[in-house]
Amino acid sequence: MIEYDETENRMVLKLVYYGPALSGKTTNLLQLHELLDQQGRGDLMVLDTKDDRTIYFDLLPFFLVAPSGLKIKVKVFTVPGQVKHDATRKAVLQRADGVAFIADSQTVETMNNFNSFENLEKNLEMVGLDIEKIPLVIQYNKRDLTDILTEEDIRRVWSQTGIPVFLASALNGAGVVETFCCLAERVYDSIDKKHGLLQRHGLDRGGFIKQLVRLPGGTGAPSI
Amino acid sequence: MDGRDFIDFVVGEEKRLTDILSRDDVMPMLESAILAGVGSAMIVDEAEVPLWRAGAAPGDFVFLSTSAGVFSAPLMLEGEPVGKVCLVGDGVDPEALNAMLKIVSGALNRLISGNLKRMLTTEIHTKVVNQSYDELVEINRQLTVSEKQYRDLAESLEVRVRERTDELKRAYARMLQQEKLASVGQLAAGVAHEINNPLGFILSNLQTLRKYVGKFSEMLEFYRSSAGSGQMPAALRLGAESKWRELKLDFVMADLDELFTHSISGAERVKKIVADLRGFSHVDDTGSGSIRINDELERTLSVIAAEIPDDVKIVKEFGVLPDVKGSAGLLCQAFLNLIRNALQCRQGGLKLLIRTEAFGAGVRLSFIDNGPGIPEAIRNRIFEPFFTTRQVGQGMGMGLTVAYDAVKTAGGTIAVKSQEGRGSAFIIELPTVRSDK
Repeated sequence: MIEYDETENRMVLKLVYYGPALSGKTTNLLQLHELLDQQGRGDLMVLDTKDDRTIYFDLLPFFLVAPSGLKIKVKVFTVPGQVKHDATRKAVLQRADGVAFIADSQTVETMNNFNSFENLEKNLEMVGLDIEKIPLVIQYNKRDLTDILTEEDIRRVWSQTGIPVFLASALNGAGVVETFCCLAERVYDSIDKKHGLLQRHGLDRGGFIKQLVRLPGGTGAPSI
Repeated sequence: MDGRDFIDFVVGEEKRLTDILSRDDVMPMLESAILAGVGSAMIVDEAEVPLWRAGAAPGDFVFLSTSAGVFSAPLMLEGEPVGKVCLVGDGVDPEALNAMLKIVSGALNRLISGNLKRMLTTEIHTKVVNQSYDELVEINRQLTVSEKQYRDLAESLEVRVRERTDELKRAYARMLQQEKLASVGQLAAGVAHEINNPLGFILSNLQTLRKYVGKFSEMLEFYRSSAGSGQMPAALRLGAESKWRELKLDFVMADLDELFTHSISGAERVKKIVADLRGFSHVDDTGSGSIRINDELERTLSVIAAEIPDDVKIVKEFGVLPDVKGSAGLLCQAFLNLIRNALQCRQGGLKLLIRTEAFGAGVRLSFIDNGPGIPEAIRNRIFEPFFTTRQVGQGMGMGLTVAYDAVKTAGGTIAVKSQEGRGSAFIIELPTVRSDK
């Protein structure tokens, strides 16, 4: 958590999109920006990029208000995926409340996915977070491509971990909102346990998701 | 991180309008609005607190963003309103004022977003650089440590190899010497055994012979005295007398006893030498035990006696000593080598003082000669194996090495003091047998 100021009745949460280079982290944010209603969120801020590769990070902020008046700001970040930007990843990961790991479905990327996940584990530990406890979801992106891992293989690998896995094609917007929604739910549960969102602020999980994931036309969060 | 400016922050930390905008950013814009005819311009934060203002407000006139006639537009930071920019007309056409407001608020919002990006970029860049620097410093420290370890290892390795080599050299030399000693001892034991047998019957036969000869002499005396009493014909008596003189039997009779005495004492000396040889070689020893240093020194001196020229003066100053522990054979060899070393160091007029004394925890033996001394340059090399100052063929350079090893093996120390032109002193200290062992 970035900030929790009870006197100002304000809470700032941090969600991080992690994963190997070119797996589609920024695309996920771009699609969230595209797909979600403008109300209750800010603009996507993309810090300097080079040849479409993130160097620093991207940021998409969301604004919620609990029935108690507590203002909750949810800042969604991406990290640079390239190996050389490890220090930046570590800095962005600091005080994260939840992580979406965006993997690349292409079979040739298997090793990169593996290395990046290992890097996530290492960096979480370095910034004092426990991978066993932090809300975490996995998205296998680029399902629209050929020569990709089969769903069966993916489920077999991850099923024992209990981490939710989503299949997505971020470029087409498929699976993006579902991934975000699931991460948001897990983050809600974790914050609620620590700070009593429901008990002290009257904000239940449904209300949290409804404010965070607003689809245009008031359709609300998609069912998962 | 200590002692260095370090900006610590969390990526995503909340910022206020005053963190993002400075007076220098804002004032030119507000002032331009005034120049363009706006009466008064002001920026307030989200709590309506004025931050910056321009334009001549009459008196202490304070307007609120919500006051009548005030045109205001929100300032957004990360999509959140964080304040307002407010313009007051002062007689200006509302249309123009509104257009002015759009220009100023648009410019300010662009500025806010640009400044925020720049700040975030700078912050994360600084953080990454600092972190990378710290990591590099740490890696450098670890490398320095490991490099030092390797260097130390390499250095000590050389020393260790040298030490081990010397040790091996000495062990090899010691083995050679012990083998030599053992074979000499075996030879001595064999010879002693072979000599002892004949020597035994020589000695006993000599005693018997002496007795027999005594009887012959007595018989001869009896005949002679009987002849003198006139009971023998004169011719025979005179003949016997002349034969007695011709055979010089008076001299023979007188010499007989001395001959026997000398022969027997000679044979006994042979017996003692054989026994000393046996003792010195210690072929009969079962191992290390208690040693009487003074006895061993005497024995060594008697073995080497033949090598000692007449003009060498050996002075013994033996004190009363407790027993020491060790191998007598090895120590005798050490003493022999030290004495021999002294004998070889000076031609004529050598004086060697051998002193033994008890001290605190052991016994001290000193071999002090009046030889030429040992040059300082080689003084610390004299115990090295195969180090010799003598001509090829005259010495192997093992004598003092063997002495050194023998003393070490007995748990003692050997030191040398020397003054060139005055002489040398070898001082051995050996631990005494402790009662608890």
